[in-house]
Amino acid sequence: MDVFVPRTLDEALEIKAARPDAVPIAGGTDLMVELNLNRRRPRALLDVSRLAELRRCGREDGAVFLGAGVSYTRVIAELPECVPLAQASRAVGSPQIRNRGTVGGNLGTASPAGDALPVLAAYDAEIVVATRDGARALPWAQFLVGPKQTALPPDGLILGARWRIARGPGSFSKVGTRNAMVIAIASLCLVLDEEQRAVRVALGSVGPTVLRAPDAEAYAAEAMARAGTWDDPAALPAPREIEEWAQRVAGAARPIDDVRGTAAYRRHACAALARRALRWALEDRRAGGRA
Amino acid sequence: MPRIIKQRVEFEGRVEERNVVIEGDDLPVWPAGERFQVIGTPVTRVDGAQRAGGTARYTADLYPAGVLHGAILRSPHPHARIRALRTSRAEQAPGVRLVLSHRNTDAIPWYNGMSRIFDTELRYVGDEVALVVADDAAAARDALDLIEVEYEPLPHVIDPLEAIRPGAPQVHPQGNVLGGAPERYARGDVEQGFLAADAIVELDVTTPDVLHHSMETHGSVAWWEGDTLVIWDSTQHIFGVRRQVAAALRIPLDRVRVLSPFMGGGFGGKNNAGKHTVLAALASRRLGRPVRIVFTRAEESQAAGKRPRSVQRIRVGARSDGTLVAIDYWGVSSIGAYRAIGTPLAGPATELYACPNVRAETLNVFTHTGPAAAFRAPGYVEGTCALECAIEALADQLEIDPLELRLRNYAEADQVLGRPYSSKFLREAYAMGARAIGWERRALTPRSPVRDGPPRRGLGMATQLWGGSGSAPAYAEVRLNPDGTAEVRIGTQDIGTGTKTALTQIAAEVLTLPVGKVTLSLGDTDFPYSPLSAGSQTLASCGPAVRMAADEARRHLIDAAASLLEVAPEDVRLEGGRLFVAGVPERGLAIAELTGQIGNFTIAGRGFRGPNPDGVTIRTWGAQFAEVEVDPETGEVSVLRIVACHDVGRVINPLQYQSQIHGGVIQGLGMALREEHVTDPETGAVLDLGFDAYAVPRITGIPEIVALAVDKPDPIANNLGVKGVGEPPIIPTPAAIANAVANALGVRVTSFPITPAKVRAELGRRA
Repeated sequence: MDVFVPRTLDEALEIKAARPDAVPIAGGTDLMVELNLNRRRPRALLDVSRLAELRRCGREDGAVFLGAGVSYTRVIAELPECVPLAQASRAVGSPQIRNRGTVGGNLGTASPAGDALPVLAAYDAEIVVATRDGARALPWAQFLVGPKQTALPPDGLILGARWRIARGPGSFSKVGTRNAMVIAIASLCLVLDEEQRAVRVALGSVGPTVLRAPDAEAYAAEAMARAGTWDDPAALPAPREIEEWAQRVAGAARPIDDVRGTAAYRRHACAALARRALRWALEDRRAGGRA
Repeated sequence: MPRIIKQRVEFEGRVEERNVVIEGDDLPVWPAGERFQVIGTPVTRVDGAQRAGGTARYTADLYPAGVLHGAILRSPHPHARIRALRTSRAEQAPGVRLVLSHRNTDAIPWYNGMSRIFDTELRYVGDEVALVVADDAAAARDALDLIEVEYEPLPHVIDPLEAIRPGAPQVHPQGNVLGGAPERYARGDVEQGFLAADAIVELDVTTPDVLHHSMETHGSVAWWEGDTLVIWDSTQHIFGVRRQVAAALRIPLDRVRVLSPFMGGGFGGKNNAGKHTVLAALASRRLGRPVRIVFTRAEESQAAGKRPRSVQRIRVGARSDGTLVAIDYWGVSSIGAYRAIGTPLAGPATELYACPNVRAETLNVFTHTGPAAAFRAPGYVEGTCALECAIEALADQLEIDPLELRLRNYAEADQVLGRPYSSKFLREAYAMGARAIGWERRALTPRSPVRDGPPRRGLGMATQLWGGSGSAPAYAEVRLNPDGTAEVRIGTQDIGTGTKTALTQIAAEVLTLPVGKVTLSLGDTDFPYSPLSAGSQTLASCGPAVRMAADEARRHLIDAAASLLEVAPEDVRLEGGRLFVAGVPERGLAIAELTGQIGNFTIAGRGFRGPNPDGVTIRTWGAQFAEVEVDPETGEVSVLRIVACHDVGRVINPLQYQSQIHGGVIQGLGMALREEHVTDPETGAVLDLGFDAYAVPRITGIPEIVALAVDKPDPIANNLGVKGVGEPPIIPTPAAIANAVANALGVRVTSFPITPAKVRAELGRRA
């Protein structure tokens, strides 16, 4: 096995172009498990942990840029205003895993159970990908194309994710065998966008990839508009509307049966998570909200 | 003059008749109220700094000069025959020194003759096919891929209920039921009993395969010094490993020395020598170099033993006042490919409660899965899940407080063997535990299921009975150095429980020395024999022998002091490390002064473990109480508090007692809510090859644990009045949690682990 340790992004992209079989490694929290269990024997590894471009994190031109090499520990410390992302980052593994693991790894592995992915989907994030020919941004849904499948070109590397900052409450929550280390049964990220008067919800672990629930989103936004919630946080949608929202979110799930939970239970869990997330968001707004 | 008697001895839930040698008189039991200086105090671990500081050397830490590394090729099929096996490519790989397989290894019988060390018929995914020994571990593992094996896949069976159907694939030619038939027990007339019942509860209960996952994986490091084999082994029984390896290699016992001075946990999974132990010895003999074989975590998941899954049905009948009139129990234990001992699932159902009519049938079923092993109270954890959930369901049906129902059916004597108990302070345990949890707060179980709304709390409890008496033989030696320090030698092993500390305390107590002046060495077959550290028997087996050895040294000290002080020995006292004339404290000398005066003439003592008292059953008892919070919408269960109170005789070290309770409760909590070892029925492959998919509890899921002890010495069990505490705290944990969940929601999940999905499914089913 060859191990490449580039010092600059240009060098890394040259190597990746010459050796498309080189598997990028940052924290190694996914890849090393595969190697240790003999599930994968890559011919080459490309260590991206020394690339400064991947370690950027913060506001850039009205958007947030999160480098692919930023650890979950840093996300929690440096992006506290992105509440759902910080919540998802806290749910990742143990402190050791959070110190090593990166959002870039979540994107590269593209498991529907990756904790950060529903958050990026609810943020409508773009994934920034670089090759020797330059960088380009792909909407998350065009990047995450299937279970463990991405649109990353063979000669490309993930630079990071970028999203517009939306004002409004939001949350990440999940039901799992336990809250970390073991993959969630179902996870959900809800974001309310006050400016666009939009509701965005994304689901993890309940489909081949991360899913949005556009039908439920539109329904909730309209229900809130009908009730006047957008203008008056104390005016709430009716309980049956919240229930309808929850059922529509559950309807968007496409769960499979596996050893961790039955499909019916996963769908049920999505409804419970959706109901709670919307209630929390409405309560937050009424209490003065989180910017 | 030794004489031999036959005695019925309990071990790990099974009673067997053994020859017991009576060597002489045992010491009288220290009575209740005996005043101690060291015993009963929370002495911290004598080897704590070594363990915490990383200087303790475990088997897995051992890399002797010139060591070679072994890796094992394991069967990818649940059932297959090896048609051909070629090793030449692997043998030529860089760094490879040796490949062992059935082609170049003696057909050493293994698993009680059910198989051989390298069998050509493979019976589970993970069965040993070949061993590669190489200069480093990576080279050995890489070479595994170069061994060419032609397998003839054969039909397999993973599910125990399928395995007992006619026409099921056979794991062994004798059939899939161990012993050819169910184990049966009966007293009274169960059918008549049920006719007299006012209420009957019937439950189907299943428990999952769960894994020991000791911190230290299985491993052995072996080398030869001339014709003597030295083995470092992560084992619960150094003398057992010595016997098994000597037999396998056909060498005399005195040519094998086994060491295990530090051990990173066993929980029953390391009761015997492993194939890897013998293979390390064989490879080392061929190569003339040390050979090290240490399991990976994945091998630990696949091939290191498990608590086998159970399928149980229990029917319990009572009169309206709660008096039990009939218990009918049926259980299946899926013992994997090679377990030779049945799982005592029916133990709790047949013995825990006074009941005139009891019937039990247990089937131990072979399947094409990894072999089952003993695991912290084998059978009794599973069996208690069935019995104690049924008892609480019965109490709910009769609207009797579950604790009151238990007290109304308190068994005063052993109804199975028809003899008294040596002692039973279960009433005290119930009372102390109930007070600590606030049992009177328990609300009535809701009559109809609670499907939604805010999280709800529930209280539940369960009882345990277990052995833990310990038994003969065990031996110890004590000697005093010229500077007055003492050394103890005993061939037991401290598997992480704190044996070393507790035994040191006993010697220190008798010699009236501070713990720091006593050094106890164990984990070496050069020391006197001690039994397997399992069945919660180590302290109760070894402790009395240490006491007797120290007592003999103490008598010799007194005799020697008497001659120096020119008084009769009966007039010499030993207190606080000082020997003096009774009533004249100033006429005396410190132990160190005495031993200093005699130089290298050594005062020593030898002790043995006396036999257990005849004609009585020795049991540990205990009660555990759980408070949970359940989210009815998601089905998630949080355990808020566990109160444990056990009667395990005299407590030698309350700190270590508490540690054992914590460990047992946490391990039981994992089984109750999270842990499940999953074997794919299609391929026979294990799906949880490590901790990423096997959910041992993490610190955030661990509740407040209150560890209480009745702490009354058993008046006759052994000269210390102690029993074991290693296993008792795991036994009632899953049942108590399940009962608390039922109390919260009004529905009962009896399929362990109690996952959110199962809670929701149960709520839905009752709709």
